Amino acid sequence: MIYFDSAATTLQKPKAVRRAVSCALVGQTSPSRGGHRASMTAADTAYRAREAAAGLFGAPGPEHVVFTMNATHGLNLAIKSLVRAGERAVVSGYEHNSVARPLHAVGAEVVVARSPLFAPPAAVGAFEAAITPDTKLVVCNHVSNVFGYVLPVAEIAALCRERGVPFVLDASQSAGLSEIDAVALGAAFVAMPGHKGLYGPQGTGILICNTDTVCPLLEGGTGSNGAHWEMPDDLPDRLEAGTPNMPGISGLLAGMEFVRRRGRERILRRERHLLCYLLSGLWRIPGVYPYAAENPEQQAGVLSFHVDGADCEAVAEALGRANIAVRAGLHCSPLAHETAGTRHTGTVRVSFSVFNKESEVTQFLAILEQIIKNLRK
Amino acid sequence: MATYLILCRSLTYAQKAARALERVGITATILRTPKGLSQEGCSYCVRVSERSITIAMTALRETNAKITRVYVCHPTGEIREVAR
Repeated sequence: MIYFDSAATTLQKPKAVRRAVSCALVGQTSPSRGGHRASMTAADTAYRAREAAAGLFGAPGPEHVVFTMNATHGLNLAIKSLVRAGERAVVSGYEHNSVARPLHAVGAEVVVARSPLFAPPAAVGAFEAAITPDTKLVVCNHVSNVFGYVLPVAEIAALCRERGVPFVLDASQSAGLSEIDAVALGAAFVAMPGHKGLYGPQGTGILICNTDTVCPLLEGGTGSNGAHWEMPDDLPDRLEAGTPNMPGISGLLAGMEFVRRRGRERILRRERHLLCYLLSGLWRIPGVYPYAAENPEQQAGVLSFHVDGADCEAVAEALGRANIAVRAGLHCSPLAHETAGTRHTGTVRVSFSVFNKESEVTQFLAILEQIIKNLRK
Repeated sequence: MATYLILCRSLTYAQKAARALERVGITATILRTPKGLSQEGCSYCVRVSERSITIAMTALRETNAKITRVYVCHPTGEIREVAR
C-alpha cells in the first residue's frame, strides 16, 4: 500500500516502537501503583517519556508533561481549564473540531480570527483585531490538518503574552516536525497526539502544561495522596486519573527517540521535498487544483487538492481501490474549509511521513491521472 | 550506618529527586513509603545513605522536587523525622 494519510495516523512505525509496545505488554504494569519490578519498570519508562517530551517541546520540567489519549483529549483539558460559558475565546480560521467542539460545548463565545490561506501577516492582523481585553483564551493550530499551512504561531503567542491572554497551541500536525518550545512561546498548554509525527501508537498523546490553572476531566486513582477524596494538586497526577496506557507510552517514548535521532529538521526537509515533487506533478494534470503556498516554508507535510468536476470522495475511493490511502472530505475541520472556500466541495488530502519515497509519489501521480481520465469518460 | 528517607508528593517528584541526586553522583533508590510514615496515603520516597544526605539535601533544594518530609532510619529500627 502507498500510505499518504499520515496527517490522520502514521501507519509505518519504527521497529523500535513495535518492540517497545511488545515489551511493555509483557513486562510493565502500572506506575505509581506498587514497588515491585513490573510497576517500577513502568514508572521508569513513563518518567523517561516525560523527560523526552520535556526536552523536545520545551516543557518547564518532566512533571509538566501529561499523558493523554490523543490531542483531542489534551485540547479538551486545556480549553475546559481556561474558559467558561459566555467567555470570549479567539481561534484561527483553521481549527479542527477538537478545538471547535469543546469550545461550543462549554458555551464560550467563539470569535474566529479568519485570514486567507498561506498569508501569515494577515493571520497575525486578524488575531490582533480579535483579541479584546475581555478575551479569556486564544487557541491556534500550528499546522492546518487540511492544507498544511504553517500558521505564524510565534507572533500570535507574542501577541498573547503582550496582552496577558492564555495561549493554547494545537501541535497535532507539527509535533515531530516543527520547533516547539512551550516556555519560549509562553503557551499555557501545548497539545499533541502521539500517533502522528511522533510515530507512537494510537491512544497516546501529550499535553504540555505551563500553567497552574488545570482542571481534571476525570477523577480517580493516581497512586498519590490517596487518603483524600480530592484529586492531588500536583502535575501530572492531577490530570492523569486511572491506569495509564503503558504499552502506548513505551511506544511513544521509542517514537520520540526515533524523531530525536533522525532530527525533526531532517524529517521536515524530507517531507517538504516530497511535497514539492508532488506539487510539480499535480500542476501538470489537467483539472487538478492543489492548494499550495508560494513560499514552501509556509507549508508542512500536508497538501489538499481539488479535481474539477469530480467528487473528492470518488477520487479518494478510486485511489483506495488502487491501494493508495488518502483522505477526502472535510477532515473534521469544517472551519478550515469554510475559511479556504472549500466547504461545499471538500478536498482530497495527501499527507506524508518520513517513510514515504519519491517513487511512491511518481506512482500516485500516474494513477491519479488515469483515475481522472476514467472519471471523465 | 543510618539511611535517610526523603518523602515526595508523588512518584514523579520522587523520580525527579532521584535524577537530581544522580547528577551529583549520589545513588538514590526510589521506594514505596512505609505506611506508618505516609500520612497522605500511598506515596514514594527516595532513600540515600547517611554519608550523602548533606550533599543530597543541598542538591534537592535547587530542584523543585516537592519534598514533604525527611526521616532518618537507624540500624536499631528507630525512625525519626528530621525535616519537613
